Amino acid sequence: MIRDLARILGPAHRGALRTYLAWLVGYAVLQGVSMALLVPVLDALLRGDTGQALRWLAVMAVVVTATCVARYVQAMKGFGLSLVTLGTLHDRLGDHVARLPLGWFTTETTGRLSRSATGGVQSVTTVTAHLLAPVVSGVLTPATIAVALFVFDWRLGVTAVLCAPLILLTHRWSAAAVGRGEERADAAATVAASRVVEYARNQQTLRAFGRASGGYRPLEDAIAAQRTAGGRWLAETFPKILSGGLVVQLSFAALITVGTLLAVDGSIEPVRLVALLALTARFTGPLSEAAARAGALRMAGNDLRRLVEILDEPPLAEPEESRPLTAPGEIEFDRVGFGYRPGEPVLRDVSFRVPARTMTAVVGPSGAGKTTLTRLIARFFDVDSGSVRVGGVDVRQLTGEDLMSQLSLVFQDVYLFNDTLEANIRVGRPDASDAEVREAARLAGVDELVARLPRGWETRVGEGGMSLSGGERQRVSVARAILKRAPIVLLDEATAALDPENERYVQRALRTLMEHSTLLVIAHKLPTVVAADRILVLDGGGVAEVGTHEELLAAGGRYTAFWNERRRGDGWRLVPTAPEGGVGR
Amino acid sequence: MTSTTVDGPAGTEEHPAPGAGGGPSHPPKDAQAALRELRRPVAGLTRAGVLLGGLGALTTLVPFIGIAELAKELLRADGVDGGRAAGIVVVIVLGLALGWTCTGVALWLTHVADSRLQALLRRRMVDRLGGVGLGWYSATTSGQVRKAAQNDLNDLHHLVAHHDVEAAAAVVLPLGGLTYLFWLDWRLGLLAMATLPLYALAYGWMMRGIGDKLQQMDTAFGRVSAAIVEFVHGIAVVKSFGTTGRAHHAYREATHSFGRRYEGWVRPMLRLEASTSMALSAPVIAVVSLAGGIWFVERGWVGPIDVLAQVLVALIIPTTLQTVNEGFTARGAARAAAERITSLLATPVLPVAERPVHPRGHLVEFDDVTFGYGSPDGEVGPDGSDGPDGGSGASRASGEPDGVAVRGVSLTCRPGTVTALVGPSGAGKSTLAKLLLRFHDVTDGAIRVGGADLRDIAPEELYRTVGFVLQDVQLLHGTVAENLRLGRPDATDEELLAAATAAQIHERITELPRGYDSVIGEEARFSGGEAQRLAIARALLADTPVLVLDEATAFADPESEARIQDALSAVATGRTVLVIAHRLSTIVGVDRIAVLEGGRLVETGTHRELIAGGGTYARMWDAYGGDTSGAEAPGAEAPGDEAPEDGTHANTAPGTDSGRPERSEA
Repeated sequence: MIRDLARILGPAHRGALRTYLAWLVGYAVLQGVSMALLVPVLDALLRGDTGQALRWLAVMAVVVTATCVARYVQAMKGFGLSLVTLGTLHDRLGDHVARLPLGWFTTETTGRLSRSATGGVQSVTTVTAHLLAPVVSGVLTPATIAVALFVFDWRLGVTAVLCAPLILLTHRWSAAAVGRGEERADAAATVAASRVVEYARNQQTLRAFGRASGGYRPLEDAIAAQRTAGGRWLAETFPKILSGGLVVQLSFAALITVGTLLAVDGSIEPVRLVALLALTARFTGPLSEAAARAGALRMAGNDLRRLVEILDEPPLAEPEESRPLTAPGEIEFDRVGFGYRPGEPVLRDVSFRVPARTMTAVVGPSGAGKTTLTRLIARFFDVDSGSVRVGGVDVRQLTGEDLMSQLSLVFQDVYLFNDTLEANIRVGRPDASDAEVREAARLAGVDELVARLPRGWETRVGEGGMSLSGGERQRVSVARAILKRAPIVLLDEATAALDPENERYVQRALRTLMEHSTLLVIAHKLPTVVAADRILVLDGGGVAEVGTHEELLAAGGRYTAFWNERRRGDGWRLVPTAPEGGVGR
Repeated sequence: MTSTTVDGPAGTEEHPAPGAGGGPSHPPKDAQAALRELRRPVAGLTRAGVLLGGLGALTTLVPFIGIAELAKELLRADGVDGGRAAGIVVVIVLGLALGWTCTGVALWLTHVADSRLQALLRRRMVDRLGGVGLGWYSATTSGQVRKAAQNDLNDLHHLVAHHDVEAAAAVVLPLGGLTYLFWLDWRLGLLAMATLPLYALAYGWMMRGIGDKLQQMDTAFGRVSAAIVEFVHGIAVVKSFGTTGRAHHAYREATHSFGRRYEGWVRPMLRLEASTSMALSAPVIAVVSLAGGIWFVERGWVGPIDVLAQVLVALIIPTTLQTVNEGFTARGAARAAAERITSLLATPVLPVAERPVHPRGHLVEFDDVTFGYGSPDGEVGPDGSDGPDGGSGASRASGEPDGVAVRGVSLTCRPGTVTALVGPSGAGKSTLAKLLLRFHDVTDGAIRVGGADLRDIAPEELYRTVGFVLQDVQLLHGTVAENLRLGRPDATDEELLAAATAAQIHERITELPRGYDSVIGEEARFSGGEAQRLAIARALLADTPVLVLDEATAFADPESEARIQDALSAVATGRTVLVIAHRLSTIVGVDRIAVLEGGRLVETGTHRELIAGGGTYARMWDAYGGDTSGAEAPGAEAPGDEAPEDGTHANTAPGTDSGRPERSEA
């Protein structure tokens, strides 16, 4: 764990970590020594030699003062280090995240990342602030006392040293059982909790199907299972914890017993033994405290490891400087092969070119690789073979910022910042004028939304844009893209097509974007397809057909089938046209 | 109107739900009282734990007092009595074992209490969640539920499982130890407390305004966490707009300023704590005790062995105090959690009729219905949107600034007919339709099914009568078959297959690794359109005579549009259907179209009647373009006008080959 900590802190603060550890060790040993000095003081006192007792007391006072200083210094250094850890971790995570490939960010990874970056970081800062000191001193202080016992009486020293591995082993044994049981109990508790949340989230459905009142079985089961798991954990671990603690108590008892036997035997001076008994009383106390903190320390260690794992994710290799663009606004795929997992290619040998200021519609069945095309252009991932060129240059020879300055993305999962609508649109081009922002909003249909909202432009959209509907978020995303005025626009029509209102806005936005930009659209709506200069039909990871609408219809291939299917869908009516009159009131 | 004010068993002190838009609101109670009330079910166990814990703490003193007694025995001038010494050693060993066992058992009892209380509270939460108005659920409240069900219950752990036992020890052990020392000699008792005032003073000084300080720190931490989460989640957007540097800068700014403020708060406190807590540290207490002890011996007040006893006991007194002190933050968190749980458990439930009325027939009547979400400022309204995505939240504008979404609507849907609700965004279409599902109770007027007021129908019966297919499909973590059988657990396999086949999803299910037994979310992942078809199959199987339908579901998934459409047509056949319509073209054939505007019903009639009438609907139809494919194709002519006229599709829905759904009796 110390190694992980040192890695995270980096060479700049490694020295500080070492200094802190040195002070901590010094403090723990000094504390042991000051306790050991109880023996000569008490010894002299019991013999009635007050002068000697006072002299030893003076020595003890000096050592205790040193202990106090060490204690204070290590506490403040530990705190200072935890602040450094806090800052360094936040910085390093920030720097790292900014360099990770876009493809790394999935719901799962971002969830993990944000948990680690908030709670995880906080937990790691407690290591030097609170956890390490009691654990280290809880082990080193008794160790020092054991050494002192050796010095005073080797037989008691041997007893202490023999007890040590026993204590360690039983602690390991019970801690392992506790950890395992806790994991199981935690898992059961998590399942129960997520069942409650599921139950809450699915109330509409559960109630509509009469399952809310009579008890919902999976939930009842999960709650029962959680209780059982909790009970079993307690039943299994309690004896182990109890016996683990008993071993500690009994080693104290062993020291007393051995000492008494020696004294009764006459092989140790009673006065000396009584003084030593006071010291043995200090042998086990810190050990229990160390054991109590070990669990928390281990948990913080796990958080630390998760952070190290994130920092180990390889960032995207980017050139220092971009190659100059040779064909601005053009997209080209040159014999591209790509798969998300080895051995499962999604695209095979795909080649096509989208000339500047033209519109290409991509159609094809789901799983054909449509979305993958757009992701490769935006370099969410790097190709396995071949090359993707934007503006005539391989995307790997452009810096991230330069590549993105060429592109506008309107994808399905739109993230909005917890800010005003206006600020969210302005993300597209932070230095745009107000008039430009309003115009982009108008074209994307956000103005209609603004008119409906009580606080208009100043409406805050909630975390992740949660207070807007999916279609509304999509409109904001389109407005951003319009505002950005990038030479190339990549657009996925899927969610935008949910209702006719959004559909109209997307169509309008497309027309605007076509004036300045190259468009690559994953198209679902017939008007979009017909409007395209060229249609690219993807199937089975390859380009099946390319051409204009008329050409492809005339060819009568896959595109024709797609066209007919969609036409059928657009003409759908819920019920056939009623005869005159209907069934009115 | 049969009766609108029905007090259910739980409705005595609580108000019905419509006003409860933003979340739970309850009178601010004393947190302490709330906590006591929450813990009442395990009070017995806790008390037993406290008793044992106190006993254990007292027993902890035995070995140390025993060492002093042993010392007396060993140092007797007339020689050591081996038997007596052995007896004392046995007492010490027993004391050690018993003390530890008592404390262990005490903690075990409180841990059992914690586990029981968690299960109990979870169950009570569930009861409450199952009874509150559906309008209460919104994006925000689902977060609250998650927090209560997960984090808050965990936060209670320290309080229930540890605090009381530790507190008992912290009281009993010092009291017992000091009593012993005072009994030995009052001066020894005072000596043991010599260093305490220093720490107590510093502690008191530190605790001044600690509540505010902790609150501030909590807020600051919450804010920086939000900034971090936003940076992490928004980084993809930020990258794609090439403004990474900017966002990165803001992120650094936020975390750095938090770090500085945190340091500003904590460092002075820590400096004081680190320096004064030494007063309670073992080495300092040892030196002070020995110094005082030597002096007392010099004076002849006490014997040297009394000093030994004093040192041993004085050294263990502070340990328990420190344990309690360390639990301070955890206790605060637990109190806050308890308050949130209490407030969740106090959420008003929808009143349930005491003497339920059975609907006779399936005539649906909206009788002068008015409904408002009750939060005019509409910060976060419950979901009730006319927005195509049926989402939730701030934009759930009700059309009217005062939060009234539906005003005085009267509408009758005859059995076996299809009624379409149309109107611009925010006109109240979804709200009106969801009122029929009793997601909310009406503010004024009444909704009746088969002559019975919705509020008088037992919930189970209501939902056996009224079903729905809405845009946001909710699939449960369970097998496909379980999900489909939700409305009719006793449906046979044949019925299941028939419903899935009619909903065009059977084939897809058979492709799954374990077919109908595949677990959703694990072995089976469905696209939006597939989930829609599952929901339709579910509705078909539940076979409710009344159905609320959202037409936009037909377009949920471009990949499988035609198949969803066929499934929808199948489910709409032979029932009383209320359909929320977005595309006018899809509902031209329905029996009745109800046009809403600003929450009011402005006209009703068939497509032809309304077109002929030249009112709102006619204008909407004109604006819609009167054709099905959007017409505004950029740079190209719209393809194939009036597609349905070619008859390729309109009659393809299973069971409707007659061209007209069969009407069932009233």
